[in-house]
Amino acid sequence: MNFLKKLRPSSRESSLFIILIVAVGGTGLINPRFLTGDGTRDLLTSTSVVALLAIGIAPIVVMRHIDLSIASTVGLSAWAVADFCAKNPSFTWVQCFVIGSIIGLVVGIVNGLLVAGLRLPSLVVTLGTLYIVRGLVYVVSNSVDYNAQEMPESLLALGQKVYFGLLPFTFLMVIIAMILMALFMKYTKSGRDAYAIGSNPPAADLVGLKVFRRTFLAFVFSGVMSGIAGVFYLMRFAQVDSTAFYGQELAVVAAVVIGGVTIMGGSGTVVGAVIGALLVQTIQGGLAALGVDAFWKAAINGLLLIIAIYADRVLAVRNEKQLLTQRIRERI
Amino acid sequence: MATKGDLLLQMSGVQKRFGGAVALRGTDLKIRAGEIHALLGENGAGKSTMLKILSGVHVNDGGTIKLGDKDFITGSPQASIDQGVAVIYQEPSLFLDLSLAENVFIGRQPKKGMIIDWKFAQKEAARLFKELGVELDPKRQARGLSIADQQVVEIAKALSMNANIILMDEPTAALSASEVERLMTVMKSLKAANKAVIFVSHRLDEVFAISDFITVMRDGATVSENPISKTDLQKVIKEMVGRELTELFPKTENKIGAVVLEVKDLTNPAYFRNVSFNVKKGEIVALAGLVGSGRSEVARAIFGVDKYESGSVTLNGKALPAGSPVEAMKRKIALVPEDRRQQGLFMVAGVNRNISMESFDKLTHRGMINFKREKSLTNTWKDKLSIKFANQADPVDRLSGGNQQKTVLAKWLATDPDLLIVDEPTRGIDVATKAEVHRLVNQAASEGKAVLMISSELPEVLGMADRIIVMREGKQVAELSRKEATQEKIIAAATTGKRSA
Repeated sequence: MNFLKKLRPSSRESSLFIILIVAVGGTGLINPRFLTGDGTRDLLTSTSVVALLAIGIAPIVVMRHIDLSIASTVGLSAWAVADFCAKNPSFTWVQCFVIGSIIGLVVGIVNGLLVAGLRLPSLVVTLGTLYIVRGLVYVVSNSVDYNAQEMPESLLALGQKVYFGLLPFTFLMVIIAMILMALFMKYTKSGRDAYAIGSNPPAADLVGLKVFRRTFLAFVFSGVMSGIAGVFYLMRFAQVDSTAFYGQELAVVAAVVIGGVTIMGGSGTVVGAVIGALLVQTIQGGLAALGVDAFWKAAINGLLLIIAIYADRVLAVRNEKQLLTQRIRERI
Repeated sequence: MATKGDLLLQMSGVQKRFGGAVALRGTDLKIRAGEIHALLGENGAGKSTMLKILSGVHVNDGGTIKLGDKDFITGSPQASIDQGVAVIYQEPSLFLDLSLAENVFIGRQPKKGMIIDWKFAQKEAARLFKELGVELDPKRQARGLSIADQQVVEIAKALSMNANIILMDEPTAALSASEVERLMTVMKSLKAANKAVIFVSHRLDEVFAISDFITVMRDGATVSENPISKTDLQKVIKEMVGRELTELFPKTENKIGAVVLEVKDLTNPAYFRNVSFNVKKGEIVALAGLVGSGRSEVARAIFGVDKYESGSVTLNGKALPAGSPVEAMKRKIALVPEDRRQQGLFMVAGVNRNISMESFDKLTHRGMINFKREKSLTNTWKDKLSIKFANQADPVDRLSGGNQQKTVLAKWLATDPDLLIVDEPTRGIDVATKAEVHRLVNQAASEGKAVLMISSELPEVLGMADRIIVMREGKQVAELSRKEATQEKIIAAATTGKRSA
């Protein structure tokens, strides 16, 4: 039980979790199917890709950087994995994950070298690789699409696999990755350094932190998670074309910010990022259940983002006032 | 463990060049264990460069640095830390999002296997804070700590690294009198533990109060190295400036006229309550008190940057609306803020653009800026305040701290204000420039401007002000005339709220 206690999220995450429960409950009132095993399974399946990407970029955002190339990497990984499988019918899910990871690794290394090695701003670097990687998908795909019949049966079967009637395999992987990363970020030197680097970059240099190594590895990690997310994409949709996951990078950034990871770096957790992803998906589901036109989806996401950032601001101001009064009291 | 008096570090003939500019042309410094050593010199004398060589940010071009009998390795902050040299910068470089325990152990977290041992880190941090006599909560976030407490965290960090030599760059610049006293106690306890403490300061009264040894630098070279018993204030000032400085506070007796600013029952519960005072034409009124006692907040409220809940501000007999700096400027109030880099200047813009910033109305012709007028305005103020810069369009962040402060003053004096508010006008400025800033503020008063000055430096308050208002925890606790004011009375009022005899 001690172990579980250690995983207990801080108050920011608990309050988000309560909002999530309320959102799920509210949606359940409108559409009772939402609360059944099938409903939960659908929610978790549809959140898996974004949630995995959120885990991938949360450390980067904590370090006051950003990775916009993730959605393009998902597209490249998904298309390339499908292509390899179509040409090699003997491939199983194992090869799929290996290929996906390697593609993500390569993109991550390029981003990492440019941002950490040359100290270029990550916003611009990854905006560049966003276009380059997507361009690459257009070129290599040559308008070829792939469907379920060209994909390994073992991969699709894994995509259909559900534990306890509600937990899909992909989301189980998300939970495992989340727990490992949460522990890593809290209890290892690398994890704490990430917070320090994002909190005060010049000071991080002055106290001799390994800024290059940490930043580089964060981008490599995000790349690999994006590559794996590409395989998750195939498992969910069982089809892929060159526009797969086009333009979804900002949806992931939004989920991470809604989950309480400060865009200015230094604070936030991967648990929060995953809850943020779930919350966005739940509210979308709730709106659909209410019969709100799907065209409103983007606008509502934007509104949610602004509400989240406003809530953060209110909390920050209150926190500052508390600290000030505490300081005055301490002095007496 | 070193014993008292051991030579820990010896720099001889150290040189450093940045491109064509020579920063150090042969500097000597000897640091002994169990000694508090003051490194003095005007801005640009090379003190910061010395500290940066020792902290591993710069590498010296010539000369030798010996650590005990070994060569000192420069070139990376990590190497300096490993050799037992720790630097506490003027602006503490803490990680505000992290806890105090984390800040103390950043980069060297104690581990149990793969995992960081938080319990041990917290216990150890608490022990260090206690040793330093400042019991901070190690689990607390660093955000919201006062500068003084942040320094304590930095010192705890240095101790946890087993540093023998602790360098402090102007540690007292942002501290109030009582915080300075606390820091001095800490420095003495470091000395008692046979550590060497080197500190840079422009506050000479403090230097003489605490140091054992004084090294004076001028133009990149060491001018003198003396134990405290063999030197005195006049001598040190002469060595720093290279000439005799006649008067640090050139106070003139001005004709005091009608009330310009009248503040009545000004209240903003978070920062200050029922503050009432006035400032007359030709008068300098000082707001004294500890940092955080609400002085700056009162000034900000008068200028309209912050709102206030109740009370009133009257300027030249007419009420000034709250919360509007634009209106305040129209009514001829000028505020020279405490933090010139963040609030007073546009650091990357040229000197000319900064000086003319608030005077655009006088410079425009049919809505377009007349650059000839801007140039002559800049030249006028350059001469009046003797601001030193090579080119009018030079960005202000290339100027020294003193010249930056003069630029802010020029910007506001160019608007010809009726009320000049200056917040810590000489923080981090060398002694010669300080005297010049004092002369300028006095001159503004003698021209009939009303001056409200906030300052943590008591000699400055006593030397400059006609009247002194002391604040403590948001309340106005004493008002002293120039005649009755003494250092002791101000400190007593600021720390206890009582007027002592």
